[in-house]
Amino acid sequence: MNEILDRNPQFYFSLPRFIALLRGGDTRRAESNAAEAWLIGLLMYLVHYLFFAHYLPPRLGPWLTALLLIVLAFWIWLFWLLLLYLNSVIIRLLRLGGLFRTVATRRAQSILWGIFTTAMACALLKDSSWVREIGAIWLVAVAMNLASAVVLAFSNATRPSGK
Amino acid sequence: MTTSRNRLRRFAVRGVFWRQYLDWATLNMPFYTYPVLHFFMTVFFFFFAAPARRIVLAHLAIILPGSSRAMNCLRAFRTFHNYSWTISEAAIHKLLKEEFAYEIIGAAWLDRLGAAQGAIVLTAHMGNYDLGAAVFAEKFHREIRLVRAPEPDQQTAEHVSASLAKSGEGAVKVDYNTSGALLSFDLLNALRLGEIVSLQGDLVAGGLAEIRTHLLGKEVRVPNGPFVLAQVSGALIYPLFIARSGYRSYQIIVREPIAVLRSGRDRADDIAQAAEKWARVLEQLLATRWDQWFAFAPGFLFDERNP
Repeated sequence: MNEILDRNPQFYFSLPRFIALLRGGDTRRAESNAAEAWLIGLLMYLVHYLFFAHYLPPRLGPWLTALLLIVLAFWIWLFWLLLLYLNSVIIRLLRLGGLFRTVATRRAQSILWGIFTTAMACALLKDSSWVREIGAIWLVAVAMNLASAVVLAFSNATRPSGK
Repeated sequence: MTTSRNRLRRFAVRGVFWRQYLDWATLNMPFYTYPVLHFFMTVFFFFFAAPARRIVLAHLAIILPGSSRAMNCLRAFRTFHNYSWTISEAAIHKLLKEEFAYEIIGAAWLDRLGAAQGAIVLTAHMGNYDLGAAVFAEKFHREIRLVRAPEPDQQTAEHVSASLAKSGEGAVKVDYNTSGALLSFDLLNALRLGEIVSLQGDLVAGGLAEIRTHLLGKEVRVPNGPFVLAQVSGALIYPLFIARSGYRSYQIIVREPIAVLRSGRDRADDIAQAAEKWARVLEQLLATRWDQWFAFAPGFLFDERNP
């Protein structure tokens, strides 16, 4: 009675796609993976949150600090909306200069989000121990992802057969 | 004064600004920003769309009797959150043509519907019925006439119609159910020509003809148009719902078709019986999918004037 039309697991980022390559899975880029969306989205949010939390005044009472940390959560949301717009302007300018013309807008946005977040993660490295760990996790993930992208680029795994 | 008021209406909760913003964001947002942005957008609308929140809370109190108000607030938030994902995934389907996984519950009935010469799809403000219509048209290579409740904002209505037409790649035609008789004749004609007509059976708006039935122990008014159309044309009514089952995955739920008899004695009785069957289907579904019932307007299960 019930029919299931399901997809093979596919990934967006190069590292899981590289792992899929090793396991004989599907290496085509796709945005259909919920785990990737949640994991990267939350990690990115955490990096941005910690980056801005660093700029909160240090000697405040616990209640005021708690209130500011809650306000900060919403500020990051507004910051993301601004970042989305700012990136769209940057992409438009780059395209005027002949760059990113063949890259889809969302992919270009993704590259810029990655650059901004990596810069913030670098800033976290100067912070206290556990905050530094978060920054380091992001940077290691980016490095592994870039290495995987190189491997995938040199393999024919991402190209459709016959091309 | 009127111009500035019109400009402000764009930014109202059901104004066109949010629809246009959603389209822009869909083309710009990396997919991994969705979980966080949806959460905060839900928080934003949960507070600013107070009338809709009150209606959802009132519905939950009826659907889940005995549940506390605090729990229902969390459930209402979940409903809003689901709505946020649902409309953004509809925009993804429309603008990016991304693939969605779907599971069909009641595949045999769906196949019958796909092959039917003239049929009525009766649905509710549940899940992603816009996306569902597009998927149906694509799967069965059939045109579908989608009749929706009128949008309160003219620009929003135009935007929604254009979106549905684009999403269905021309196979989905949109009409708005107003009180005019012309649409009824048009739909009857479409059914007689073998087309599929999709109507919503959980809201009576704009002075439409109605019939009273019982849902979850309350007397409710459902539009009698679908039942009259079925009776006159002889077409079957297929209850069909599209529920979100996870990240970019949906369930197409088809229930047993409802036949509206023409016993000859009292046509109103036959229509009432069919409406009662529809109410049972809806009742059963709402009990399990209350978090995807996006009935944000009053006048059905909960009426602000007569709570």
